[in-house]
Amino acid sequence: MLKNKFSRRNFLQQTGTWAAAAAAVGVLPNIAHAAREKELNIYCWEGYNSDDVLDPFRKEFSAKVRAEGLTSDPDAVNKLRAGETKVWDIINVNNPWAREQMYPEGLIKPISRERFEPYYNKMMPAFKPPYKWAMDSKGKELLGMTQRFGPFSFVVNTDKISRKMAEDQGFKLFLDPAMKGRYGLLTYDNWNIYHMCIAADIHPFKKHSKAEIAKFGEVAKQIFNGAKNLTDDLVAMNLALINGEIDAYFTGGTYTASPARLDGAKNIRGITPNSGPMDGKGGIVWIELTSVVNNPNPSALAEDFLEYVQRPDVSKKVAFAEGTYNPVTQMGSSDVLSKFSKEELDAIQWDSLEQEMTNSVDYDINPDYAEMYELYSAAKRERKT
Amino acid sequence: MSDVNESFLELSGITKRFGDFVAVDDINLKIAEGEFFTLVGPSGSGKTTMIRMLVGMDQPSDGEMRLKGQVMNNLPANKRPTCMVFQSLALFPHKSVGENIEFSIKIAGQDKAARRTRVNQLMEQLRLPLSYYEKSVMQCSGGERQRVALARALAFDPDILFFDEPLSALDFRLRKALEKELKDIHRETGKTFVYITHSLEEAMVMSDRIAIMRQGRIVQVGTPHEIYNYPKNKFVAQFMGEVNTLAVKKSGKNKVKVVGGDDEFTVLDDLADFTTGFLIIRPEILKIGKAAAKMKNRIKGVAYNDYALGSRVQYQIIIDQFEEHWLVERLQDEPYEGRRGDMVEIGWQPADSILVSE
Amino acid sequence: MAGTTQNSKLQWLRNPGVLAALPASIFLLIGFAGPLLMVGAYSFMPSRSFSLNQIPTFENYISIIHDSYYLSFFWSLAMAVIVVILLFIICYPIAYGMAKLFNKWANLVTALIAVPILISENIRLFGWVLILLKNGILDGSLQSLFGVSASGLLFTVPAIILGLVYVYLPFTLFPLVIGISMVPDTLKEAASDLGATRWQIFREVELPLSMPGLMIGGILTFVLVLGSLAEAKILGGQAIVMIADDIESAFTFAQNWPKGSALSVLLIALSGFIVFLLFRRVDLDRVIGRR
Repeated sequence: MLKNKFSRRNFLQQTGTWAAAAAAVGVLPNIAHAAREKELNIYCWEGYNSDDVLDPFRKEFSAKVRAEGLTSDPDAVNKLRAGETKVWDIINVNNPWAREQMYPEGLIKPISRERFEPYYNKMMPAFKPPYKWAMDSKGKELLGMTQRFGPFSFVVNTDKISRKMAEDQGFKLFLDPAMKGRYGLLTYDNWNIYHMCIAADIHPFKKHSKAEIAKFGEVAKQIFNGAKNLTDDLVAMNLALINGEIDAYFTGGTYTASPARLDGAKNIRGITPNSGPMDGKGGIVWIELTSVVNNPNPSALAEDFLEYVQRPDVSKKVAFAEGTYNPVTQMGSSDVLSKFSKEELDAIQWDSLEQEMTNSVDYDINPDYAEMYELYSAAKRERKT
Repeated sequence: MSDVNESFLELSGITKRFGDFVAVDDINLKIAEGEFFTLVGPSGSGKTTMIRMLVGMDQPSDGEMRLKGQVMNNLPANKRPTCMVFQSLALFPHKSVGENIEFSIKIAGQDKAARRTRVNQLMEQLRLPLSYYEKSVMQCSGGERQRVALARALAFDPDILFFDEPLSALDFRLRKALEKELKDIHRETGKTFVYITHSLEEAMVMSDRIAIMRQGRIVQVGTPHEIYNYPKNKFVAQFMGEVNTLAVKKSGKNKVKVVGGDDEFTVLDDLADFTTGFLIIRPEILKIGKAAAKMKNRIKGVAYNDYALGSRVQYQIIIDQFEEHWLVERLQDEPYEGRRGDMVEIGWQPADSILVSE
Repeated sequence: MAGTTQNSKLQWLRNPGVLAALPASIFLLIGFAGPLLMVGAYSFMPSRSFSLNQIPTFENYISIIHDSYYLSFFWSLAMAVIVVILLFIICYPIAYGMAKLFNKWANLVTALIAVPILISENIRLFGWVLILLKNGILDGSLQSLFGVSASGLLFTVPAIILGLVYVYLPFTLFPLVIGISMVPDTLKEAASDLGATRWQIFREVELPLSMPGLMIGGILTFVLVLGSLAEAKILGGQAIVMIADDIESAFTFAQNWPKGSALSVLLIALSGFIVFLLFRRVDLDRVIGRR
């Protein structure tokens, strides 16, 4: 894949130009060569694009900031590949993409270690520098800043399934015949595949044998066939869970459960299994990395923005922006942590966060993703309800 | 008036009101079987409302319609043994010539072979090439469409065939040709035709009898000859076409005087029960120049202009004291010998003028 | 003859029609045909590649045939057919009323039907989720009022059909209104005068003459439903997988552009083929009366 890097990018740029020729008319003025001093375009998961976060920055730097929310990592990376590096200055996706794909493909560029490593020192202990996912594969360049993160496995209604039972059973819960038709499947496809691996007692982030892949296929089918509903909308899924349409959902965590919890549905809880096939661990944690896009006409404000979001009040705003609520790595320092109320800490399951982190491995790339995806999508299509 | 010995269609007291507006006012009419009957009137005279009631698309507010003695007021259009050729023709644009013609008998459930025979027969009768069966009606010329519309109505084999000004959109020549053709078809089929038009000229050519309508009422009913020679009033006389009209009052036995003038003319009528009215003189009856000298009634005017009408020439004469233009017509091969601007005498015999009431 | 041909070759550019159509044609070529060609070209690239500079292959199509994608195609087609039929039945009376009966009220009805289009489809569908949810508006009301339960409606195929019918109703309705209002009243009067009953008038005159509207509305809805995925996702809980969902997944989560392209090409070909068949069966020109 990588050996095609150059021609691939070239081509994607062409495609982007072709397909976006009409739409891009509105974007083109933004990439005019002169006025990038006071201009910043952010492409991020929801939160960084909220006015709570951006307005003070706009005022302080008298900057023109445009931010667009993204809905899937691969989608966002596709857009950069298709030539939108010309458009964006900041990209915010999950941890493996920067190190494994975007940096090697030249879509992002390193940031100043001198300027930003002090901030890593103030983060929670697990993120002390040099933090693996923020560094390139040689460990030399700093590729971005961490902030939001969260354990991500599955979610239950603790009135129906106790937390202990869920943690003990882990993903096996969904293979229990008694659970058939009682759970939903949140179709974050890549996550589903990892979680189905775990349910099949396979480490998702290692090279797999044929037998393992076949086993994955079987489990995928079983989980799809047992699901009451499929949706990629976490609000709809929480609603179904609260109303008793389902008792649990496959793929989920703090990120998806926190909105319901802050609304008072304390019985909705993200679960990290106590044990599993990943060197004994059964949960996965994602960490967002915010990087500077390799824009041919870069904005002068890109690094300033990365520094701005490290501030305690802004960190809090990012953690509790609209939509979903998540812990941030900056909570390692007490001036950030003190900004959270008791309810807010409860919404993001602060009480169990450390234990959940201990029981989780970091989100990574699955070397057999493509092959497993075929089985996954076939299982989805062939689902029997 | 001519006698109607058998009343095939009988209308008594037919009235149609739209709110306060009376569109058709107390119409009484008898139409005989096999008759070609025409209702003539200007737009707004109520003739369209009349025909809509006759075919069943509207119901009369009052009165009775009887067909062969049967009251048919409340019979819906699709149950009436009558049929109409629409002004727009209302041909089905998605159907071929043949499909249009056979529409009514297909609806009635006739089988394909019988339908085809009947359609062929009608197409022959109406001089439509048999190869047109498959042709789209929208590809037909104006005259062909008329024939298709007529054939479609005839296929229904109606007791009465109604026509709602179907020729009005055609050019003059085609209209003239089709008028005669329609009369021929009437003769061949022997059906009762009820035709409405705003053109008395058209009515004259085709009709056995004509009813002239004005403001929802029938002004005069009669044969074309009666209407032409004995118009009941000025409206009928003028409706016939270009006539010279003069407001007159009785000034003695067989004498009338122009209202507001001194000219006096002799008429045939003894004027026993006449005080005021109109003198009507047709342009083609007036003599001009030398020929006028022998006439009993004469008047002078200025030859203003002349118009060639094919076989005839029409002259416009300005008569000062009437503040009117009169029209005189002569055959083309015996034209008036004077020039434009000349003072000229025109004249007529008492028997050639018509005296009518308001 | 050859001379005139030669001449017309030079002349066509000066034709004002050609000149006037040029900007739009260029725009269409770049904005419409361009990306389509790209998709077409991509569908012949090796699986999971991100470049066109490779040896063309049929592997994507072959793997699609061997895989179970026929299920998604089947479901999308089935939904399209069912929804179009249901919408014809629902929309014809409404369209008839709007075209011929409602008079001044027609504008209000138009507005009432059109205004929801301004609201995001997802939000409207989510409204239906709240209605159909277990203990939701419908279920809850029925339980408290009559003691009967209406749970189990959500995440089913009928819920998907409900959503599709709801979302695409205007796309069938409005062309149908135009189609029906194109039928002159005199033609119906003429048919009645020739002895046709109401039903015969409908079958022989109204239906064939409103066919252009019916066809446009039907094809529009058919193609839209064929490419839809939100209803199956939001209301159906993906009880079935629509082909558009497979295409989206191929481009995003699967990172397999060639396969996504091949699926798109097949979907485009399928809709094109069906539209072509329909137009062959129903000669629009003839219905409108141009031939």
